Amino acid sequence: MKFAIDRLSLLRPLGHVSSVVERRNTIPILANIVMRAEAGQLSLTATDMEMDIAEQISCSVQQEGACTVPAHLFYDIVRKLPDGAEVEVSVADGNASIKAGRSAFTLPTLPVEDFPAFNISDLPVHFSLTTADMRHQIDTTRFAISNEETRYYLNGIFFHKSDSGALAAVATDGHRLALAQMDMPQGAEAMPEIILPRKAVGELRKLLDDEDGEVSVNLSETRAEFAFGHVRLTSKLIDGSFPDYTRVIPKGNDKILSVDTGLFSAAVDRVSTISSEKSRAVKLSLTNNLLTLSASTPEASSAVEEIEVSYTGEDLDIGFNARYLLEIAQQVEGDVMQLALSDPGSPSLISTPEDDQNLFVLMPMRV
Amino acid sequence: MPPFLRLLPEQLINQIAAGEVIERPASALKELVENAIDAGASRIDIALDEGGLAGLSVADNGCGMSKADIELAITRHATSKLAEDDLLAIAHFGFRGEALPSIASVAVVDITSRLEGEAHGWHLHIAHGAQNQAKPAASDIGTMVEVSDLFGSIPARLKFLKTKKTEAAQCLDVVKRLAMACHTIAFHLSDSGRNILNLSAQPDNDVGRQARLAAIIGTSFAREAVPIEAMREDVILHGLAGLPTMNRPTTAQMYLFVNNRPVRDRQILGAVRAGYQDMLPRGRHPIVTLFIDLPTTEVDVNVHPAKAEVRFRDSARVRGLIVGALSSALREAGMQATHEGGAEALRHLSQPSYPSSSNWASGRASGSNIQRPSYGQYSASPSAGMLGSAANFQSPLQASPPPNAAGFLSEASPQARYEAPTEQEELRNFPLGAARAQLHKTYILAETEDGVCLIDQHAAHERLVMERMKEQQLAGQIPSQALLIPEIVELPADQIESLLQLEEALQSLGLYLEGFGEGAVLVREIPALLSDAAIKPLIADVAEELVMLGGSSALEDKLGHVLATMSCHNSVRAGRVLNQEEMNALLRQMEVTPAAGQCNHGRPTFVTLSLAELEKLFGRR
Repeated sequence: MKFAIDRLSLLRPLGHVSSVVERRNTIPILANIVMRAEAGQLSLTATDMEMDIAEQISCSVQQEGACTVPAHLFYDIVRKLPDGAEVEVSVADGNASIKAGRSAFTLPTLPVEDFPAFNISDLPVHFSLTTADMRHQIDTTRFAISNEETRYYLNGIFFHKSDSGALAAVATDGHRLALAQMDMPQGAEAMPEIILPRKAVGELRKLLDDEDGEVSVNLSETRAEFAFGHVRLTSKLIDGSFPDYTRVIPKGNDKILSVDTGLFSAAVDRVSTISSEKSRAVKLSLTNNLLTLSASTPEASSAVEEIEVSYTGEDLDIGFNARYLLEIAQQVEGDVMQLALSDPGSPSLISTPEDDQNLFVLMPMRV
Repeated sequence: MPPFLRLLPEQLINQIAAGEVIERPASALKELVENAIDAGASRIDIALDEGGLAGLSVADNGCGMSKADIELAITRHATSKLAEDDLLAIAHFGFRGEALPSIASVAVVDITSRLEGEAHGWHLHIAHGAQNQAKPAASDIGTMVEVSDLFGSIPARLKFLKTKKTEAAQCLDVVKRLAMACHTIAFHLSDSGRNILNLSAQPDNDVGRQARLAAIIGTSFAREAVPIEAMREDVILHGLAGLPTMNRPTTAQMYLFVNNRPVRDRQILGAVRAGYQDMLPRGRHPIVTLFIDLPTTEVDVNVHPAKAEVRFRDSARVRGLIVGALSSALREAGMQATHEGGAEALRHLSQPSYPSSSNWASGRASGSNIQRPSYGQYSASPSAGMLGSAANFQSPLQASPPPNAAGFLSEASPQARYEAPTEQEELRNFPLGAARAQLHKTYILAETEDGVCLIDQHAAHERLVMERMKEQQLAGQIPSQALLIPEIVELPADQIESLLQLEEALQSLGLYLEGFGEGAVLVREIPALLSDAAIKPLIADVAEELVMLGGSSALEDKLGHVLATMSCHNSVRAGRVLNQEEMNALLRQMEVTPAAGQCNHGRPTFVTLSLAELEKLFGRR
């Protein structure tokens, strides 16, 4: 195998692909990426056994063939080569040599046959959506993904067809929930309910940063494939059933608070400066059109800030985790956010007025 | 033909009973010594042969037995100790009337006894249950029981016996525990003619009890342990609790007594551990002697054949008393660290190994590791934690810096490394003394009135930060985070019941739960500090401890662990240079902080070396 390629065109795809490779592996071949040079194309593939990413770039192939090299090492080498360098890769006697200008590197290779082959199973459901929509679905929900391993079915984003027929993305960690809905793309009506694991969500989101246009999605009950540009990401899905989240979305919370999103999150951020680092409790006290945010610690420091809001319900005191409030406020679209409250022990519904597609549920804290 | 029922022969019944009660020489010994104590003896002589494997004998000067009694004694359920036939009012060690017949069924037993006022005694010989007539014999007043050929009739059990050494150690442990409980009785134990234990009778008061404990566990324990004295309604608790830094890998040195009966009860062991919470390293156990006295009607000792376990009518109260008394006593004793550390250091020091010349040179070069206090910084305002006296001591310095201050600021020669300014003299009166120098940016060397202290700055500060955090946590309601989807935790019914009984106590720690049908609880809110933790295992731990130990510290442990990690990150690390003012402030804070003798992981925060020990080290004494 022998090919030559411009450093810059190699660097980005290599970065994409190698980021899926774990830094420490018990199976040596998993630390490697596959390079296959064929018909003027170089394809790069890497996997962590849960997901894999493949990307294709055009290059000048002098001799067709394939090999695997240590992913992070190869990436670091290419990263440090000077701008505009022409990288020449060739394989002989089980070693890959990388040359650029007057630099030369030799890396060990492992046989391509040992690389785990993903069985390309049948992915019966096909549909496509814009990268902007995909980004929105992920951004709105991913912050609420649970990190707790025992409830593994919460360790990802739940994509499914909602009761109203929309494509819904949901994530929750048991303390808060985020829901993003969009019109059902054509062909997705029969999609299975899937839970996309956290790592795949992260990698997919990174790849989407650089892309415009359409994402084509292929699904089965156990696997999902996302293809766009020259990239293809496939991932196993979490085998579990997501809880019936619709039951925890409160209905009939009648104490409606509307507040400027920017002012609110800045105030929460300021007030929570003093609350203890782990629990971060902030109290919201509501009375006629006035919101008072307060926090205090047992060491007797305290903070208070008042904001003009629109609120006409009964007076109410309710506590929240400031970090949760801020993370939600960051994802709320629009200048005004609306909190529908009930009582200090019940879930609150956070959304934007006139938007019933994206919403957040937050459980209060007892402070 | 169906098998028909029949009553087992007496001999077999006794052997079955022996299976429960007599499993090794030590258990036979226990029964015999208890009989001797119950007989009102004031002196008990115990002789082992080959660690008890070849035989053992127990001789007392108690009330003795008549001929009829001796013959009846080896009949099952014959006892003189249940006067009112009331199993709830048990004032003796024994009451089941099973010990002697059990032993007699599996060994060769010779009983010799004489009642006071009788002309001669009687002797009875039983070989593996085969009983003879009692014969007249010469005897002192009291009873002597000799056991030999133990388990000769049950070869299977014989195979389970351990080595001579192990069995002897077990016997010694039994005698020690009983001797602690009965300090007014003299005990003498010998093994194959060798003296093992010789304890003289002590007067029937606290002094006598302390003397007995010191004689058994060691004087260093008695000197360094914290006295425990507590009472709740009619339950009285007293004893000695070893400092947490003096710990052992097993529970063998936890001596527990209920109404003077040595027990190894899980509930009490659990309560003791909870009392030592976050002061012991993981997997280490304290040395304690705890006596729990309560009305006999409040405790059921008829639970375990060997009476090692007991059941309290109100176990929550007993647990609460133990946990409360231990933790408050240990916290008050916070300023003590065990002498063991110092003694250990001394042992290492007194076996000097002279360093090779190259080491020696590098040792000298590292003299720069000693952080000289810089007087230039003394004009800085005292840190908030400084005690008044520490602040006072500054003023003269500000007025007139000591003449040698310049020497300290410049690169002084190693010989002139330190000279105590007289202003520091008064600081020496504090328990941890006056900070003299920082060694290797990690240890503080302090001079006290009668010795020196070495303090680990990170370990010490960690404890200070942790205690402060704990105080803050407990001062207010612990914030709790409500769950969007309540977690259902499946548990056995008994665990659910005890969880729900403690609902209020758990709520004050931020855990809100309620019953959820049969076999599950519903968790509504969890402590905000633990919001990243897995809920199910946490609840299961708490519930299991509640049932097994009658109380749980699992939740506090977990919260404590989070606090400990936080405090570890928020405290002064090793490697940080401290000036003298900071060092003294740290020492003064340690003196007023509970449990300052150990860091959050149970390691000692400081060791002391007395002047006497130093003098010994240099041959001045």
